[in-house]
Amino acid sequence: MADRMHASPMRRIWTIAFREFRHTVITKGFIFGALVMPVVMFAAIAAIGMLIGMQMTPVAGTLVVIDESGTVAGFAAEELTPEQVAKDMQDTLKRNSALKSWPGNDVAQQATASLPSIDVKVESVQDATRVDELRAKVQDGSLLGLAIVSPELLNANPKDAEGNDLTYTLIVPTRSAPRLTGMLEKSIAKAIVKARVQRVGTDYTSLQALLTLPETSVRRMSTEGAEADENAIAKTLLPMGFMMLLWIATFTSGQYLLTTTIEEKASKVMEVLLSAVSPMELLCGKIVGYAMVSAVMLGMYGALGIAGLSAAAMGDLVSPGMLILMLVYFVMAYAFVSTMMASVGSAVNDLREAQSLVTPAMLILMLPIMLWLPISEQPNGWIATISSFIPPAIPFVMVLRVTASNEQIDTWQVVLSLVWGFAWVGAFIWGGAKIFRVGVLMQGKPPSPRELLKWIRMA
Amino acid sequence: MTTSAVNLRAVWKRFGKTEAVRGIDLDVPDGSLTGFIGPNGAGKSTTIRMIMSIIHPDEGSVQVLGADAISAKDRIGYLPEERGLYRRMRVMEFLKFMATLKGLPAAGLDARVNAWLERVQLTDASKKRCQELSKGQQQKVQFIASVIHDPELIILDEPFSGLDPVNARLINRLIRDLHDAGRTIIFSTHVMHQAEQLCDRIVLINRGEKILDASMTEIHARFDPRTVQVEPSSHNPAEASRLGALPGVERAQWNPERHAAELTIARDVDPQDVMRAAIALMPVRTVELRKTTLDDVFVELVGEAMPSSEESGNG
Repeated sequence: MADRMHASPMRRIWTIAFREFRHTVITKGFIFGALVMPVVMFAAIAAIGMLIGMQMTPVAGTLVVIDESGTVAGFAAEELTPEQVAKDMQDTLKRNSALKSWPGNDVAQQATASLPSIDVKVESVQDATRVDELRAKVQDGSLLGLAIVSPELLNANPKDAEGNDLTYTLIVPTRSAPRLTGMLEKSIAKAIVKARVQRVGTDYTSLQALLTLPETSVRRMSTEGAEADENAIAKTLLPMGFMMLLWIATFTSGQYLLTTTIEEKASKVMEVLLSAVSPMELLCGKIVGYAMVSAVMLGMYGALGIAGLSAAAMGDLVSPGMLILMLVYFVMAYAFVSTMMASVGSAVNDLREAQSLVTPAMLILMLPIMLWLPISEQPNGWIATISSFIPPAIPFVMVLRVTASNEQIDTWQVVLSLVWGFAWVGAFIWGGAKIFRVGVLMQGKPPSPRELLKWIRMA
Repeated sequence: MTTSAVNLRAVWKRFGKTEAVRGIDLDVPDGSLTGFIGPNGAGKSTTIRMIMSIIHPDEGSVQVLGADAISAKDRIGYLPEERGLYRRMRVMEFLKFMATLKGLPAAGLDARVNAWLERVQLTDASKKRCQELSKGQQQKVQFIASVIHDPELIILDEPFSGLDPVNARLINRLIRDLHDAGRTIIFSTHVMHQAEQLCDRIVLINRGEKILDASMTEIHARFDPRTVQVEPSSHNPAEASRLGALPGVERAQWNPERHAAELTIARDVDPQDVMRAAIALMPVRTVELRKTTLDDVFVELVGEAMPSSEESGNG
């Protein structure tokens, strides 16, 4: 007889788990899909930015402004200096609410660095009869553009007879890049406003300072009296980020679990396995194996996310307690998804049949995505509270709530969700194991939901 | 005293309204080579799956190697009828995986796998992926997977199905070697001559019930031969009617392929008397008492409405 050791259930489970892990993670598909693909995407985004910068040709030439007053061209020349164009762009980026809280405003500086070199001469023409001559110059490309500003446009209230806003005309060559056209358009419009302000005898810089909207510093005060900074990103994007991380980590593994179970049934290797292990050991081995796959993804993307937040000086948004809760809810989410996928995979013959059985559960699991905004905005609201007790969506909703804003959710709700959630996990594993035990040896017509219930009773 | 490797008592298995196995009692002696035969859908594979504890009986008890079937799994080798491999796994890796599941320690596994691959003439295949092998090669890998852990009990469900004659002969020899080494082997088939050639004991299952459980010697004794074949020197078909008139002969039929008359003799008549009378009646080349084949037994017990023994199917 062979020098045989007793294969304990744990050893069998681990052997199956390791095989599943190895044959999923150490494959070209996984390495490409989970590791290389995100890197390629980031690199592509960066490369596109570089390519756009490289393709940008210097902006050089003459812009003619037909304006009887002769004041607009001068202001337009001020607006079209390289320094002023860069400053306008930075101001626009700084006003963006998301980037406002980004430390150092480096993004704005980096963005203006990609601007092409600008050398625009602005020529003023007060004789409106030269329009056709100048149009021809635009047409042959000897002018960057021609702006026609009517005298009425410089009035304090520039309206036509019907009360409509007056417009100025900008004529550019067909090949003019939209970005250049936009720059000319904005500079001339601003120059017209400056000319108007000058006409009424007011200093534009003073007026602009008076009209600038002040920035807001929101301080959020808790019921205990603690005050903290309001952060738009933390309030909206962070919970969604965490939930999506949980979603991707669990569903990627869940999908692998579903397809490999179907494959094992289709290739008839299932009965070979069942001659060596019990259905429960096989199920546990598969679940543990793909849990490791899931943990690799969660760890990888989670570490990247936290590193990103730390680099942006927002590391304090994620507390250790939050991470521990996130891990506990990950275990719960994975248990729900994996049991569901393995039992469905065991009961069907192909992916098409699996879709019809998975769809009802998927609709419930879509709930946190659909209710992301109301839950993130009001983590203690009734929508958040009720939806966090609906299995199998519990862990996803709770992650949204726990990571949302600075608002604490009641500890009893967290505890209750864990007790309630893991009780449901137990029920899912119990039912899933019974379906798995019957399903793995079944061939032919896929079962209806009613038949699945029958399997649970009879197994 | 002979002990039983497998012991089934009043085992029932139902699938919905279908009674797949109906109260089977079975003892497979230690060290025997037992053939499970029966028509398609008779309940052979269901019985085997219960022995393997892949499915559980609704009623009755199953004991394997003196224990319950689950705790004896490591001591059993099983080649299921519906065979499968992990297509993308390499042969060496697959066999090591199966051996580990069956409780073999990692040390020495490579040597063990290589020795088996050499035995089945697949030494070049160890680094190949399973999907790169031919069907016959895949079957040999599956056979190794079922015996790699040197089990005490080996259950082979239709082991020759789909094999070419050369590979069938190789597997046949390996089964004999394992039997000679003292392993208990249960071998399910619906091809009677294979069972007759290999097995020392036969269990015939039909419609979920065991209708025969005996050694080959007992079967030959119990199913007393009733046919005497006489080959006249003249090879003349007309001789059949003369032979048919002998006392104790119920019917005489000419077999043109053998150039011989086949005489069916009455139950209470000694075949030796008929043989002596035939020799006295005419010059003959050969006279023989035809040995009862398993096919004859099968047809007698199960009935004529059976599928041909060359058809494949499951049981």
